[in-house]
Amino acid sequence: MIDFSLSKEQESLREEIIAFSEETLTPGALDRDKAQFFDRSLWEACGQLKLPGMLVKKEYGGRGLDAVSTVVALEALGYGSADSGLNFSLAAHLLACVVPIQLFGSEEQKNYFLPALSDGRWIAANAMTEASSGSDAFNMEAAAVKGPEGYILNGHKNFCSNGPVADVVLAYFTTTPGKGFFGGISAFLLEKGKQDFFASEKVEKFGVRTCQMGEFRFTDTLIGGQGLLGKEGAGGMIFNTSMEWERICLGALHLGAMEKQLEKAISFARTRKSGGKSIASNQAVSHPLANLKIQIESARLLTLKAAWKLDAGKPAGMDAAMAKVQLSETFRSFATQLMQLYAGKAYREEHEAQQLLRDAVGDSLYSGTTEVLRNILATHMRLK
Amino acid sequence: MDNIKLEVKKFLLDSFVNESETGPIEDETPLLSSGIVDSISSLQLVAFLEEKFNFQFQPHEVDQDNLNTLNLIEEFVKAKKG
Ligand SMILES: Cc1cc2nc3c(=O)[nH]c(=O)nc-3n(C[C@H](O)[C@H](O)[C@H](O)COP(=O)(O)OP(=O)(O)OC[C@H]3O[C@@H](n4cnc5c(N)ncnc54)[C@H](O)[C@@H]3O)c2cc1C
Repeated sequence: MIDFSLSKEQESLREEIIAFSEETLTPGALDRDKAQFFDRSLWEACGQLKLPGMLVKKEYGGRGLDAVSTVVALEALGYGSADSGLNFSLAAHLLACVVPIQLFGSEEQKNYFLPALSDGRWIAANAMTEASSGSDAFNMEAAAVKGPEGYILNGHKNFCSNGPVADVVLAYFTTTPGKGFFGGISAFLLEKGKQDFFASEKVEKFGVRTCQMGEFRFTDTLIGGQGLLGKEGAGGMIFNTSMEWERICLGALHLGAMEKQLEKAISFARTRKSGGKSIASNQAVSHPLANLKIQIESARLLTLKAAWKLDAGKPAGMDAAMAKVQLSETFRSFATQLMQLYAGKAYREEHEAQQLLRDAVGDSLYSGTTEVLRNILATHMRLK
Repeated sequence: MDNIKLEVKKFLLDSFVNESETGPIEDETPLLSSGIVDSISSLQLVAFLEEKFNFQFQPHEVDQDNLNTLNLIEEFVKAKKG
């Protein structure tokens, strides 16, 4: 049975999040984006609605949404909130950190971490990428060595979204050199203030600018065995699972942002005059927007189908790759088209279309570049 | 259960292994450490084993020690099935 309609609960979830984010998160968003300023009080406001823990089970302090409803909620956030960096921070926290803790954490870890990660008290960062291992993530240099009191961690992680403001860090280290993905990597949950490691200030970046990105340095950092997430050697699968969730659900933010901007673009095209008539009356203006509508809807359907697979416990790797490639390529062409539509206005001023273009570029890089995702598809299609 | 190795080999050959490139897949041919099965295709192998033999992998069990050869895979599946 296929039913494309939202349930009553999903409809009211969507309305609730749009109303909250338009009222609370959007005012001042363009200025914060320009200043690359993360407003922690807005994170805490999201926490009041348990948005940072929207898919955490209620018994651990979250809202208990499934993957499909998470897509609905994140799309609503992207639609209602123009603070795209904050939206991204929240989704990265949720999908790359909270999901693996919920799926693979011990009862003790879940009871300890999930309530504060759900209600806005704590922010989490995921630390995988290193200077010499981005796409080739499992070929990392950071290493953990087991000693009598626990593990000694050494390494340098960069590109960590939320790094400068994070209270909790989910970081990946080699525990058995040579095994790589197949049992050689382990995941550790660290807390700022409890373990001794260095977190940098924010680095300047191109898009999702209110999300603070930074680096972590671990120098003989000691962590007890209870800091392991899952068992030793489970890191490869834990990271892969978190990336599947991120590839599927995070793009919903961009679907929402595109839908909002499409509405504004249509209204602009209908009112902006050239040669005495609206620019929308030119096919050269209306057809690209019509094409983008088709692409956005295709990306949404692929996203929802992939999310449905997560909920059904079916393998979703191929669906995740298809959804993310379709979405990030749609996002980039949408943003370029929007710049063309608003023309000089968007080029000269600090304009939402500029923000969207900068955000769109990053989407084909994080959680697997488009090239790497096409490699995954090619493997599934027996082309490699 | 006796046919675990045969079933897995058939899956590998049907899915992503080409013996004309890798050489024959024997019971002791290294699959992961040799790169014949990479991290992406190993996930397909995991999904196949879970569905075919009806058990769930724990994340740390996706390990060379359990999956590197047909012999190891058979041993692992038998142990999981108890
Ligand atoms: C906004 C943003 C947020 C991020 N957040 C985080 C975070 O929170 N935590 C974290 O750990 N990391 C994070 N990252 C890092 C991100 O995961 C990496 O940038 C990404 O994995 C790519 O790695 P790289 O930049 O080193 O590029 P490389 O891997 O060096 O790739 C360079 C180019 O080569 C291509 N390429 C590489 N390998 C192949 C191949 N096998 N086949 C075909 N093409 C290939 C790539 O597609 C790319 O075009 C973030 C990045 C961005 C942009």
